[in-house]
Amino acid sequence: MNEYLCHDFKTPRTDTSRRLPSSFRAIPVIFYVALVGSSYVMTMDYFNYKRALKQKTEAQERKKLSEEQRDAFNNEKASLESEATKAESVAQWMEGARNIQPIAVKIARAVQPETRITQVTLERSEQVPANLALTIHLNGSQVPNELATIESALGQLLYRSYSAQQTKNGDVVEYHSTLVRQSE
Amino acid sequence: MNPKQLACVFLLMIIGGMTYAAQMVHNKVSSTRTEAENMESAAVTAENERSTAEIATTMFKADTEDVRRFLRGWLPVLDRVQTQQEAEQTIQLSLRERGINLVLAVKTELKNSASNKIIPKSLVTTMTIEDEYAKVLNWLGDIERRLPTARMKVMQITGGSSGRQLKMEVSFETPIFNLAAAEAGKGKAKDTPKKP
Repeated sequence: MNEYLCHDFKTPRTDTSRRLPSSFRAIPVIFYVALVGSSYVMTMDYFNYKRALKQKTEAQERKKLSEEQRDAFNNEKASLESEATKAESVAQWMEGARNIQPIAVKIARAVQPETRITQVTLERSEQVPANLALTIHLNGSQVPNELATIESALGQLLYRSYSAQQTKNGDVVEYHSTLVRQSE
Repeated sequence: MNPKQLACVFLLMIIGGMTYAAQMVHNKVSSTRTEAENMESAAVTAENERSTAEIATTMFKADTEDVRRFLRGWLPVLDRVQTQQEAEQTIQLSLRERGINLVLAVKTELKNSASNKIIPKSLVTTMTIEDEYAKVLNWLGDIERRLPTARMKVMQITGGSSGRQLKMEVSFETPIFNLAAAEAGKGKAKDTPKKP
């Protein structure tokens, strides 16, 4: 290569295109920054997305399980309520269906042989079936004592006489009272 | 526009595209995280509801244990009389076994109750019998033992045709339970009475 040619190469040459403004030189830098930034954000978002999906799935499973258990408890409670309602109705009926034969026997055993019972009536109250209206017709000389004995004997069966009334009709004493069962 | 400017425009477009894509992905992730948080909140709510339902059920179970035990104890007895014929047969059998020969009157009447679903029907029996004191009262005890759910409405004992005889007029209602038709209710249980 001769000197001329070398000199010719070192000669300042005019640009084939106009130079960009100096502010445009930041564009490649911005490109790399955007590339790195976007990659970082999207990578972090990817992990966050996976974590959120996992959290959502677990929460869905927990929600479903809790709802199933809640429904099971509600069904059990409904069943218990139904059973309790039946039981209450039966108990309410049975409260007014206590045996009255022991009452009749107690009355008969309470009086002395010289006192004559001409009539015993036990009538269950319509409004409060647990209560019994007692009517006794007695004939004898010791009727007041006998009535006290009868009331005492009924007390052993947990019945208490309320609104007791005595009416004398000739030799017969009519005794009326309401028997109310006391709680044990 | 020279190639350098074109390259800048191209880079700017790529930068815009990347920023837009990153933003879209971020929005998607944000919405997913919001859904996850909502689902977490819903799960916590469901757990609280489950816990509440469990407590309510356990408390109700404990509160009604006595009355439900009472029902379980009585179920065999309630199932024993399910028809009018069964009740009538029980009464006749009791009269026969107790040797009550003089039955002055017997009247049975089927009573329907549309409002009471647990006891839709009941048999009202009115009887007048006459016999010795012991036999009459023993029969009364026997019928109350055989039909423990029967509710004695009226019982009147007077003197019979002779000195040793008693005449007893008795009216009692035998319920025919239909527990299957009972509906669930919200009532709270009360004390359980015992048959003496």
